[in-house]
Amino acid sequence: MIDAATLAQMNGEYVMPPDAGPAWRAAAEYGFDMSLVEDALRLTPEERLEQHQRALDLVLEVKDAGERHAAK
Amino acid sequence: MPQNDKALLSRLKEQNVEFIVIGGVCGVLHGASLVTLDLDLCCRFSRENLRRLEIAVKDLHPRHRLTANKLPFELSDELCVSLKNIYLNTDLGILDCLSEVAGLGGYEEVFRQSIPHNLSYGEFRILNLDALIASKSAAGREKDLAAIKLFQAIKEKRTQQKELF
Repeated sequence: MIDAATLAQMNGEYVMPPDAGPAWRAAAEYGFDMSLVEDALRLTPEERLEQHQRALDLVLEVKDAGERHAAK
Repeated sequence: MPQNDKALLSRLKEQNVEFIVIGGVCGVLHGASLVTLDLDLCCRFSRENLRRLEIAVKDLHPRHRLTANKLPFELSDELCVSLKNIYLNTDLGILDCLSEVAGLGGYEEVFRQSIPHNLSYGEFRILNLDALIASKSAAGREKDLAAIKLFQAIKEKRTQQKELF
């Protein structure tokens, strides 16, 4: 039996870390996915840049596909 | 068009271009979960440094991306003196070089508010978090103000963790 809190998390609810300060809470409430920031902060800066490059490649690939589609 | 920040940074490093990483990539290096489509730098706009920049991107078909006819990036002594910013399209992506950063000042002041950063392909300087926040605040666009919330959260976390970075 899955409890309601776990189910909510499975559905995407972000659990504020116990040490979350006002700025962290403000960013989360603004709409940033702070779980991604938590993950990024566990990486080295170089790993962050590599992760960003992969995301950027995907964004540009989708953008190019959209432009090719629009040109048809 | 691809955007390969690592390759661009490596080339600039190879030519000993004096620059500081600012903008979105700086935010990414600090841990922000953002995707940014260009590489923004603050560069020393001395003739020698601009010439090094020119050599670093020479074979990448660099063009002034904001000019109507996408003029090729070819420096003259006159241009070295009169250019304040250089906005380029290259085969490795967009490279924007600024002589000063809003909210911070010119290269020397930006340098003062930067920190060294070791990557496997060299040491680079990036804005410290306070300077990054100040620059985004001065830019004042909606997306910048949103990013500030993220940077402030990271700063808060780092303060809590008492990290030096």
